[in-house]
Amino acid sequence: MSAGRHSLCTGWPWTAAAMAVLGFLYAPIVVMVVLSFNTSHVLGLPMEGFTFDWYFRFLGNEDVVESIVNGTLVAVACVVVSIGFGLPAAMALDRFEFPGKAIFRRIVLLPLILPGVTTGVALLNFFVLANVPMSLWTIVTGVGTALIAVAITEIFARLQQIGRSQEEAALNLGATHFEVFLRITLPNIASAVAGAALIAFAIAFDELAATYLLTGRDVTLPMQLWSMIRREVTPEINAIASAVLAVSLVLLVAGMWLSRGAQLRGTRAA
Amino acid sequence: MSAEALAPIPDVRREARNAERRRLLLWLGPPAAWFAVFMLLPHLSLLYVSLGHMDYVDFVPGFSAANYVKIFTVEPYLGVTFKSFNNGLMTAVLASLIAYPLALWMAFGVSSARARALVSVLVILPWLASYMVKAYAWKTILGTQGVVNSLLVSAGVVAEPLETLMYSRFAVILTLTYIFTPFCVISIYAQLERIPPSLIEAARNLGATDLEILRRIVLPISIPGVFAGAVIVFSLAFSDFITSTLVGGPSDLMISSIMINLFGVSMDRPLASAIGFLMLALAAVLLVTMQWVEKRVQVRF
Repeated sequence: MSAGRHSLCTGWPWTAAAMAVLGFLYAPIVVMVVLSFNTSHVLGLPMEGFTFDWYFRFLGNEDVVESIVNGTLVAVACVVVSIGFGLPAAMALDRFEFPGKAIFRRIVLLPLILPGVTTGVALLNFFVLANVPMSLWTIVTGVGTALIAVAITEIFARLQQIGRSQEEAALNLGATHFEVFLRITLPNIASAVAGAALIAFAIAFDELAATYLLTGRDVTLPMQLWSMIRREVTPEINAIASAVLAVSLVLLVAGMWLSRGAQLRGTRAA
Repeated sequence: MSAEALAPIPDVRREARNAERRRLLLWLGPPAAWFAVFMLLPHLSLLYVSLGHMDYVDFVPGFSAANYVKIFTVEPYLGVTFKSFNNGLMTAVLASLIAYPLALWMAFGVSSARARALVSVLVILPWLASYMVKAYAWKTILGTQGVVNSLLVSAGVVAEPLETLMYSRFAVILTLTYIFTPFCVISIYAQLERIPPSLIEAARNLGATDLEILRRIVLPISIPGVFAGAVIVFSLAFSDFITSTLVGGPSDLMISSIMINLFGVSMDRPLASAIGFLMLALAAVLLVTMQWVEKRVQVRF
């Protein structure tokens, strides 16, 4: 009998305990989604009937639609910031030695574990001192900066994985560093970059803590949803929340598939 | 060989080193500059403002610790800070306890690598999903017209919906625990994964039972993972304002809510900045401690 490490916790009590925890993680979400299809105006059980009405209703709500447009713009800008600065930072961290590297790594990865509200309050304070009014752009500085850490972990993991032998061979054959980056490094990390972009978009699209502090006159979807959620619990809000969830789950799954394997390592990289 | 004969070589080396340095600067410059402006400066500004005070609506710079003293001596700041600390601690402990069996099962109960990857994704998804939506989901479950109450009422267990389920400290801690459990699973699993199969097999060959292996090998080795997850969860839960606003009652406000109100409605930016800076300092101290402890207790294989 070969009893490897994966036979230590195989009995049914282990499986049952694990399933119970997974159930705990998914049950509330499932309940919320199920109730978004309930015909009753009052949220709660039992289900009276099945309907898509609440989804059509929120798509007809002008404030909500406008916030979705704003939120999409902000999320795209956050992706640009996170990849635009995360890719070079990952290159510097993987391919170079420099003084202060350990500190630089610690600072850029800090947002992974720093509360969003501290980032938000620090930037709000900074902008008030500098007389910069809050707008969609100030949200981008907060959320985008935090997401640079996500891009770095994904891209850094891929850079480590591919190694440098191909690049060194190309350099020996007379390619310039620019050519090597464009024609060897970039294609090799492209799927990790795309994965990081999707994950960053998904997180930016529903980030609230930093957004809450850095929002000006124009609101994004998380802020719109927040103002509705605080007042009441309705099937329409369930529908918006379920749609938000569905969009981010699809993007996250696609993102994780593209940048396979970086997540588990990434979360502990700091 | 004389030193003169080697003279040209250092020049070539220096040339190469300079080129290398220029390329490094190209990669490192933009992100370093961005972080300096949008991360270091804002956090320093928090410290700067926290040392001053307000004169009606104008900020007056200064060098006084009065705001920090206020947080630890004046109500509601002291009480709310203490309550947030408690909530953070409860959340970290509960989330670690709930996470542990799942992490164990992932590491030692799933033999196919594909199935393990699938379960990992199933754990990461709820972690990365919208924080607010996760808190709201509990509002639909615990609310007076929520799922639990309508079930209890229709089953005749209670005549009136239970008010205490919702807008209570119970609801806040339950929801926070729910939100942070996946993070603890990931942290503990990452640590358990480091245990080499040979170690388990050796113990088994020497006659250890599964329970002994779990208690005397797996549990001690897992501690840095549990600790790391719990520390980060504590710091994140401590600074929550979304969950406590959504499912907590008026007396369940956490310190972040107070800070946000001070910034907006009360216009006391220096005091708000002091709270913000303390939260940042707490997170930083916890992280450094965590890394220090991890270095000391981490097992090398």
